[in-house]
Amino acid sequence: MSEQMPESFEGGVPLSAPEAPIAPAIDESDLIVETRGLVKRYGKLTAVNDLSLSVPRGAIYGFVGPNGAGKTSTMRILTTLMLPTAGQAYVAGYEVTKQPRAVRRVIGYMPDYFGVYDDMKVWEYLDFFAACYEIPESSRPRMIADLLDLVDLSHRRDDMVDKLSRGMKQRLCLARTLVHDPQVLILDEPASGLDPRARVEIRELMVELARMGKTIFFSSHILADVAEICTHIGIVEAGRMVMQGSMESIRRQLSPHREAIVTLLDRLEDAKSALSGVQGVLAVTVLPDEGGRKRLRVTFDGEDALLSAMVQTLAAQGIPVLNFSEQAQDLESVFMKVTKGIVS
Amino acid sequence: MIEAEAFARRRGGWFKNPVILKELRGRMRGARAFAVLSVYLLLMVGFALLLYVLASASQDVFGFTSGGQIGRTLFTGIIGIQLFLVTFIAPAFTASAISGERERQTYDLLKTTLLPAHSLVIGKLLSALSYVFLLLIAAVPLQSIAFLFGGVTELEVVLAFVILSVTTITLGSTGLYFSAARTRTLSANVTTYSVTLLITVGLPMLIFILIALFSSLLGARQADIAVEVQVLLLYGLLALSATNPLVAAFLTQYWLLNKQSAFVFYETITSTTGIIQVPLISPWIVFSAVYLLIALILVIRTVRRVRRIEN
Repeated sequence: MSEQMPESFEGGVPLSAPEAPIAPAIDESDLIVETRGLVKRYGKLTAVNDLSLSVPRGAIYGFVGPNGAGKTSTMRILTTLMLPTAGQAYVAGYEVTKQPRAVRRVIGYMPDYFGVYDDMKVWEYLDFFAACYEIPESSRPRMIADLLDLVDLSHRRDDMVDKLSRGMKQRLCLARTLVHDPQVLILDEPASGLDPRARVEIRELMVELARMGKTIFFSSHILADVAEICTHIGIVEAGRMVMQGSMESIRRQLSPHREAIVTLLDRLEDAKSALSGVQGVLAVTVLPDEGGRKRLRVTFDGEDALLSAMVQTLAAQGIPVLNFSEQAQDLESVFMKVTKGIVS
Repeated sequence: MIEAEAFARRRGGWFKNPVILKELRGRMRGARAFAVLSVYLLLMVGFALLLYVLASASQDVFGFTSGGQIGRTLFTGIIGIQLFLVTFIAPAFTASAISGERERQTYDLLKTTLLPAHSLVIGKLLSALSYVFLLLIAAVPLQSIAFLFGGVTELEVVLAFVILSVTTITLGSTGLYFSAARTRTLSANVTTYSVTLLITVGLPMLIFILIALFSSLLGARQADIAVEVQVLLLYGLLALSATNPLVAAFLTQYWLLNKQSAFVFYETITSTTGIIQVPLISPWIVFSAVYLLIALILVIRTVRRVRRIEN
């Protein structure tokens, strides 16, 4: 991810540790978004059912679930647009139904549609929302320039909004959520309806924003997006939280062991016995050939040093290794494991 | 571009309301707003010419010589058509103001900002009305042509403008209210125009029928009717004038011509018990007070509607 990061953002915001895609330390007990027993009913339909979520400050929290799982309803409650039927929701310590104005000050909300005024220029659009957030006029031009720079739209500053492509509109909307420098961004399906390139751009921007210290709470049903950039994840189905926590803890919960795939030119059996001898390796299985290459799956339990030890063992015996990589637990399979497919 | 931004930074007063600035920018951008204004003025000029030709032709036929008659016909005609236009234009500008935000899916975005509900509502109302006022003010010189013929006083021009303005504000507020109360612009438009038609066409028809009935009653044996009933009828008439701009304008002019007053005057009532003087307020005052009060109530209700969090 980090190689693809745009280096253009120098607008006064310090870039911390460029190689680390995610804000350094996240205190799991410092919650910036929290709901307790949240319930939302529309007549007989229960959209959100006793949902409790915890988003630590600085996290990129992926709120994942199939369509109709209650993601948008939860977000509308958190953004003060809708009242819950029961339960409490807090953003930055403010109760959303009691202190909506305080909540609005700390959140930036992007719904799952653009919400743009077609008869405005790009800079006017941002200026209008900055004015709605009571940003003093004197600081707006500089702020707008910085934001357009961040979302790479500086060259379209004076164009009419309706002349922008979908991806550009989405980036403009993301810039809009930032005009008042909020602590939390609540983004509803930020990547939906975008082409692959625009999707990557939005994802990179989200990582960039997390580095700037923003907490990002976003929903998605596209698991690949979530897996790549999230620090935390909450899986929701039929209005209930099925599983939530840091990516690591979720991976560990679902599969207690780590896995590595070794691709070899030759000497499959030698490699198998060599790896089996390394302490901490639990199992070595032969995988079917892929394009004529021989492959092994190594299941192990231990720290990264163990991975290094395995590579050294193979090298010491002169085994021709083509590729050695740790297999991240596929989130798709995680998702299939925890959800029951009640809603789809 | 640079000048526009410099202006944006210098501006003060009501331009501090972001909604007003945004709406006016959108409305006055490009040639459309000016084209509409030009077409409107051309139509008004055409109408004035038509009135003039008709008025002078009828003079030839009937042998009148009074220039004042032509002036009066022109003035009344232009005010009448303006009232008609305002009735349709003012709600058209506001009925889509809030429902349009919903349809454009920007309503939620505005609601998550710190923009207070009253700023949104007032901003929408003022920006829509300011364009209608531009149309009204642009037509003032046309009304004033009547001065060339005489028969019309400055006071009448001012009063006509007041009645037109009040009508604009109240009908604009009506449109805005339904715009907030309904989800769709179409439904907001239908409701707004139904109410507007009821006020501008339905009510005057009813009132004129009532007036005709009363005057035939009063005219025949006025002196036989008890004083109390006569006073009641007179005040009833005044109250009715407060429901409709056309009736208010008509009665204001009637009393202005008969009593030479546009403010407070006395109407003489004759009955079997003697002659008494009844104090009356000119209808335009009653009309303006009632209409502005309605507008205020509608604006407050609109603000409440906008402030409400979805359940």
